[in-house]
Amino acid sequence: MVAAALEPFLKGDTGRNTRGLLRLIILCTIAGAAVASRLFSVIRFESIIHEFDPWFNFRATKYLVQNGFYSFWDWFDDKDVLDNGDRWRLMHRELGTWHPLGRVTGGTLYPGLMVTSGIIYHILRLLSMPVDIRNICVLLAPGFSGLTAFASYLITSEMTTSPSAGLLAAAFMGITPGYISRSVAGSYDNEAIAIFLLVFTFYLWIKAVKNGSAMWGALTALFYGYMVSAWGGYVFITNLLPLHAFVLICMGRYSPRLYVSYSTWFALGTLASMQIPFVGFLPIRSSEHMSALGVFGLVQLVAFVEFVRQQVPNKQFQTLLRGLILVIFAVSMGALVLLTVSGVIAPWSGRFYSLWDTGYAKIHIPIIASVSEHQPTAWPAFFFDLNLMIWLFPAGVYMCFQQLKDEHVFVVIYAVLASYFAGVMVRLMLTLTPVVCIAAALALSSILDTYLVADNPTPKEARPNGQATGDVVKNAADYIKDSLRSTRNPVLGIYSYISKASVVGAVTTYLLLFVLHCTWVTSNAYSSPSVVLASKLPDGSQHIIDDYREAYYWLRQNTAEKAKIMSWWDYGYQIGGMADRPTLVDNNTWNNTHIATVGKAMSSREEVSYPILRQHDVDYVLIVFGGLLGYSGDDINKFLWMVRISEGIWPEEINERNYFTARGEYRVDDEATPTMRNSLMYKMSYYNYNALFPAGQAQDRVRGSKLPAEGPQLSTMEEAFTSENWIIRIYKVKDLDNVGRDHTSAVAFDKGNKKKKTAKRRGARVLRVE
Amino acid sequence: MRWLLSLTFIALLGLVQALSSSGSRLLVVVEEAAEKAKYSTFWKDLEERGYKLTFDSPKNDKLSLFQHGERSFDHILLLPAKSKGLGPALTPNLLLQFINKDGNILLTVSADAPTPTAISSLLLELDIHLPPDRNSLVVDHFNYDTTSASEKHDVLILTRSSPLRSDARNFFGGDGTLAFPRAVAQELGNTSPLLAPILRAKSTAYSYNPKDEVETVEDPFAVGEQIALVSSMQARNSARFTVFGSAEALEDKWFDAKVKPVGGKDSKTANREFAKQVTAWTFKELGVLKVGRVEHHLSSISEGSSGNDSVAQLGYLNPTIYRVKNDVTFNIEFSEYSYDHLVPLKIDPADALQLEFTMLSPFHRLDLVPISTTANSTIFSSTFKLPDQHGIFSFRVNYKRPFLTNVDVKREVTVRHFAHDEWPRSWEISAGWVWIAGVWITVIGWVAFVGIWLWSEPAYDQSKGKKMQ
Repeated sequence: MVAAALEPFLKGDTGRNTRGLLRLIILCTIAGAAVASRLFSVIRFESIIHEFDPWFNFRATKYLVQNGFYSFWDWFDDKDVLDNGDRWRLMHRELGTWHPLGRVTGGTLYPGLMVTSGIIYHILRLLSMPVDIRNICVLLAPGFSGLTAFASYLITSEMTTSPSAGLLAAAFMGITPGYISRSVAGSYDNEAIAIFLLVFTFYLWIKAVKNGSAMWGALTALFYGYMVSAWGGYVFITNLLPLHAFVLICMGRYSPRLYVSYSTWFALGTLASMQIPFVGFLPIRSSEHMSALGVFGLVQLVAFVEFVRQQVPNKQFQTLLRGLILVIFAVSMGALVLLTVSGVIAPWSGRFYSLWDTGYAKIHIPIIASVSEHQPTAWPAFFFDLNLMIWLFPAGVYMCFQQLKDEHVFVVIYAVLASYFAGVMVRLMLTLTPVVCIAAALALSSILDTYLVADNPTPKEARPNGQATGDVVKNAADYIKDSLRSTRNPVLGIYSYISKASVVGAVTTYLLLFVLHCTWVTSNAYSSPSVVLASKLPDGSQHIIDDYREAYYWLRQNTAEKAKIMSWWDYGYQIGGMADRPTLVDNNTWNNTHIATVGKAMSSREEVSYPILRQHDVDYVLIVFGGLLGYSGDDINKFLWMVRISEGIWPEEINERNYFTARGEYRVDDEATPTMRNSLMYKMSYYNYNALFPAGQAQDRVRGSKLPAEGPQLSTMEEAFTSENWIIRIYKVKDLDNVGRDHTSAVAFDKGNKKKKTAKRRGARVLRVE
Repeated sequence: MRWLLSLTFIALLGLVQALSSSGSRLLVVVEEAAEKAKYSTFWKDLEERGYKLTFDSPKNDKLSLFQHGERSFDHILLLPAKSKGLGPALTPNLLLQFINKDGNILLTVSADAPTPTAISSLLLELDIHLPPDRNSLVVDHFNYDTTSASEKHDVLILTRSSPLRSDARNFFGGDGTLAFPRAVAQELGNTSPLLAPILRAKSTAYSYNPKDEVETVEDPFAVGEQIALVSSMQARNSARFTVFGSAEALEDKWFDAKVKPVGGKDSKTANREFAKQVTAWTFKELGVLKVGRVEHHLSSISEGSSGNDSVAQLGYLNPTIYRVKNDVTFNIEFSEYSYDHLVPLKIDPADALQLEFTMLSPFHRLDLVPISTTANSTIFSSTFKLPDQHGIFSFRVNYKRPFLTNVDVKREVTVRHFAHDEWPRSWEISAGWVWIAGVWITVIGWVAFVGIWLWSEPAYDQSKGKKMQ
């Protein structure tokens, strides 16, 4: 009865419309699920910006919204904003970051993210919906994840005729932890919109190559430009598209379609990318972009050769071609080397080298290696982030090989490259995720398409008399005789309902488990704002540890507006965003020397550090100490990176070996080396810590070691603030002593230790000449 | 012109009250009332200059230097005490705290009275050293008063100080001779830049303990010009601390005594005049610099061009941000306090008042030149081009000279890069003409090509043209 009633909706034109509507509803539901699964952190904590970089993006967005685009473009970092009448006069009160060097912020960031949220903000205001800019920023990433799901539907639909593959890919993309890790609500980072742009650009590119259309090529270039404005990872596209074109040419698949799409994309895309101030002339000057330029030249050459081939007889053409290829190769190679050597083309950047040699950064550029997301990926991470897709992925790639049209070549190349990069750097898991979703969806959809057919198949040459079902086995045998299995195009199908039911049941279970896993990972691993920590009390209730914000608000309320805060660079953006105070270094690690200076101040003796602090006008020093709470991400654990980075600049003053005991252990207890115990960081971390414990029982719960009975003494600084759980400690740098003593003796005097009268002088008297 | 009015008003106020620039409450610590009488002329001189003297004994329990965390007195004058300690109100920590809170101290010592331990440990902190034995005094066998100390040679006859350095101001010079009976030598440490001797002994003097039975003095505490008889320490906050080596020299009898140096004539001592100079300096009547208006602005905009409108002035004065390569003018107004009023500061030709434009290290260090003088102040100015480097810079005037209060004026400004619309337009750069021409030729060429292409559509044969497609 129901089936009969539904009949008209499932067949013919109406049926197509119904399916279209259903698809739309499904996609909307997927988008809804994608958004919903990213809201854990908002529900559990609050609508807050997460981690480190997002704080800068948030501050930049506020600036953009309040001052307009042009001010943002010319932004030379400041802290906040007074008016927007005259662009320069009253706006810049004081520099925020990189004191005292300053940062040309407008020219050193990717503005795409901020501009996007700015536009959304203004559109909403236009619609009389005054939404706080913070909420837009917090919810931008979930919102865009819905769009990413849609984009992966589009791109997967280009790969296969099966309508279910696209929907599966969309669903995978929506909830896979590999993508959620960078796009939960509050994770207001460039990746939030960049992954959508990445997938969508690829979709447009596939479309362009398929149709040979200048319009799609131009659209590709447009979205490529958007991508460039949003994320430094655009270089991935810059290299992947040329590689695709190159492989196609090598496979002998050159076609005018490729020529049109590639040339359009390259010309317009390069122009578009050069409009971003931060990128500027890089596309024609840096090595990373040379492959795109080279393939562009190659495509022109191949087109030219194709043209010549139509005009010249075959024999001469071969000779001509060979000579031409040799000459051009020699000339372009020579030019490239010459330009690189002479410095016109920038050599490969350090981050790029570390892609090829995972040990490179550790030796040469400690600052890159010090970032946890630049570490090589651990194997379990693949399963953790992608779950069942990681084993569907090879199958999907294999299926691409089977068909191997132009777009499948693209998926194969993308899969190979992204797998490699994801293995090298944790954060590049993000670029792997889309292709895994696509490939896994291809594989899974073909399984489902095969097993989910309710009707038993009928061979193509089904006889009109209807006897076919009986002798299928015999028919199959006939076919084998005819030709190779791969060419005979048999009707494949499953006849037994048991096998159908079992396979479908198994797949359904896997998918349900996948959903379960994704939800679990998202809720447990990726939804912590890291500004606010959560812990469980013995009775199971949640306890919020809010030391970061406590300390940042203390700074905001209790220090002078221009007070300079020194901290390790990890906290720079947060201090700028939450405490609203200038910092010495921050997460935009553009100046290694300046960071090394901070590292030196932290890792040297007080007498060495103090002049550095004075020179940089430092008023307060902020450190993170987890010893009381067992919070392992603290500065003592990061300390070796400070030592290494400063050793890179001052090898004769700082030596990493001195911070290890004779047996090569990194210790903080009685056996710690004198260098370690005299370092400013150690002193600041453990200053007064003894007072919390009974005498001689002080315990560091992160390092799990007992501390020396006598705590360190500080003379050039005084403790200004320590947060509730001792996670953040802030010290005030003392002024020079008023009557010209050094700080040690001043402190000794204050404590009541009388100076001994100088005993009998030794050696010649030093006379006053003045 | 409001600032000028207020300055004048302050100056007038100064004239009326006629006293130190940092307050008039002077605590005189004297152990016995009998002691006090010996110095009556000295007290009278001080009171005439406007000080409100409070005499108190260190033994008084109610004596306190601070009340509610603020100083109860502006200056302290310590006379030599017989007792070993100075009591709970005058511990070295409290005295140091007094200095840290901008209080000034004049300490007098005498060879007759042992120096209390509180004082000597305070002096040690300041790197001023007194002889280790209690009774040491300075003798000079060539410059002594023949009338009063023909035997012991312990009344030194000195001329008034000459400038400490060629570029230093001399507040203690003048004619006449000084008599320093039974002086205690001070030796100043070498490392502290805050110390400066006010009066030094002659090169023939040495420190010596008369109670020592030994005939010859071996390894004396200090000799010659290394002996400071009056020495000063000006703290970083410009609080002043002076050690006066001979309390006796301030007594009435030495104020108008006649002395006769070896081979010289009888003359009246200049002790009274010198005491006035030393107290005036210590209690900040002299050598106090005052910074008035500090302003900087773009050189292209000056007061004249924007009129006298105060709103307009607010706009162009002291902006927080400049651009690289701006021409900037910096003005600073200086006055100097002289006994009871402000006078324009004059910089010695050997000296220079300099402006630094600094970020981590100075990018510019320029002489500030006086451009105008008002009744009470001099305005110094300098104009320069900002360096081609963005960042947070400061205008800094760091003027620290012996006997003058420390001046360290710092004004932070941001120097930004060129904005995107501040570069010359493309057609203003002659080297860009080639490219501009290229662009337009391409544009026109393409339009022309399209036009020709469309216009030159081949005429199809009417009969089969349609089918050809």
